[in-house]
Amino acid sequence: MSQRLLVATRKGLFVFGSTAQGWQLQQRHFLGDHVCQLLADPRDGRWYAALDLGHFGAKLQLSEDGGSRWRELPVPAFGEGEVVHLGDGKAPRPATLSKLWALAAGGPEQPERLWAGTIPGGLFRSDDGGASWQLNRPLWDQPERQDWGGGGYDEPGIHSICVNPRDSQRLAVAISTGGIWRSADGGDSWVQSAQGMIAEYMPPDRREEGNVQDVHCLVQCRADPSVFWVQHHCGAYLSRHGGEQWQSLAVPPSVFGFAVACHPSQPGTAWFVPAIKDEKRYPVDGRLVVARTRDFGASFELLSAGLPDDESYDLVYRHGLAIDQTGERLAFGSTTGGLWLSEDGGDHWQALTARLPPVYAVAFA
Amino acid sequence: MAQIILAPAITRWLAEHSGPAPAGSEWRLARSGATLADVLAALFECYPGLRGYVLDERGVLRHHVVLFIDGRALPHSHDFGLALSEASEIYLAQALSGG
Repeated sequence: MSQRLLVATRKGLFVFGSTAQGWQLQQRHFLGDHVCQLLADPRDGRWYAALDLGHFGAKLQLSEDGGSRWRELPVPAFGEGEVVHLGDGKAPRPATLSKLWALAAGGPEQPERLWAGTIPGGLFRSDDGGASWQLNRPLWDQPERQDWGGGGYDEPGIHSICVNPRDSQRLAVAISTGGIWRSADGGDSWVQSAQGMIAEYMPPDRREEGNVQDVHCLVQCRADPSVFWVQHHCGAYLSRHGGEQWQSLAVPPSVFGFAVACHPSQPGTAWFVPAIKDEKRYPVDGRLVVARTRDFGASFELLSAGLPDDESYDLVYRHGLAIDQTGERLAFGSTTGGLWLSEDGGDHWQALTARLPPVYAVAFA
Repeated sequence: MAQIILAPAITRWLAEHSGPAPAGSEWRLARSGATLADVLAALFECYPGLRGYVLDERGVLRHHVVLFIDGRALPHSHDFGLALSEASEIYLAQALSGG
């Protein structure tokens, strides 16, 4: 069971540890700086922290000793002449790295391979532990990329990267907005895979196009990689067919949200943190709840034991919900700096004792 | 030689380098060069990691970084061919824009 929780916030990276006295804040890194994404690599224990320095650009930091020392790594870069299309009629603009939005480890047989998803929507690969990065051209050169658009940010971005735990050549990435793209050959070729989702923000005759879907978060079951869960801008979805088909889920009390987590060994179990849809974005009735299904979305339980009894307006972003390798320990952090942890699959939650800056990402290490 | 002043907000990212003052304080450096591009190239040669903090991957001054030459902001963020004098003073800082 993971003994550390990494929390990326608007004002630094905070590390909580499990102790005999409970979970305690043990480390603080990059205080004052915006940490937007994390990777705790299960293969080698390395920690990666993506920084979004508003003035000085996107940066990447690595610690190989559990946070004692950090060193800066190169970041992915777009080549001269590359442009990003905005999908909504605005003029294309030069592609320059804005944000490292997704970090993922390669397979166990690829010890130095990392994947990074960026705003604008580039997928980058490193085969040397982040010392250098190469843009995945087959995805970048897809003609359909011209119809990708910004989802929240001005430019489209890749926020979810799933590496199939049984076959590292099988990849799935999700884009706000650009649907889901899958590869069966390590990224040499890609197919759009969000058909069946509904984009209510589009004109009626385009709502079912895979390439315009605003997938907020995509996760894959480790024990059964044919199972994917999605939190989408307009709903929640499940695929039991490797992403080829999707079924809509009636998540209570709202199908809007950003985050989803799935159980590593129970394919039918997943958690969502819903909010009022679209332009509102706060918990329904001001009540923060987690919705859990254990039967592939046929039914949901609302979990709130240990969450605030009072009104709360905590929104959980797409990387703000994490589950550890046992499937029992979960944690989530909110836009108002709340941080909660469960040791029993969400039945009971405890608020970790810190008043944090807005939380962007959490990860168990 | 042109004088370069790096604001504390920039030098705090140069902790692994030895500079004229502690990282996180204002640094004053002197570099020779006929143009702004020459002087910046000389600066980045000493502090390779600095380039990505000042310029984006296209070599354009970052949107929220400001570069003053003798007290006047560089009028065009890509005009690095600007001729400098021996007495020129270059001031690099984070812009107030950008939060």
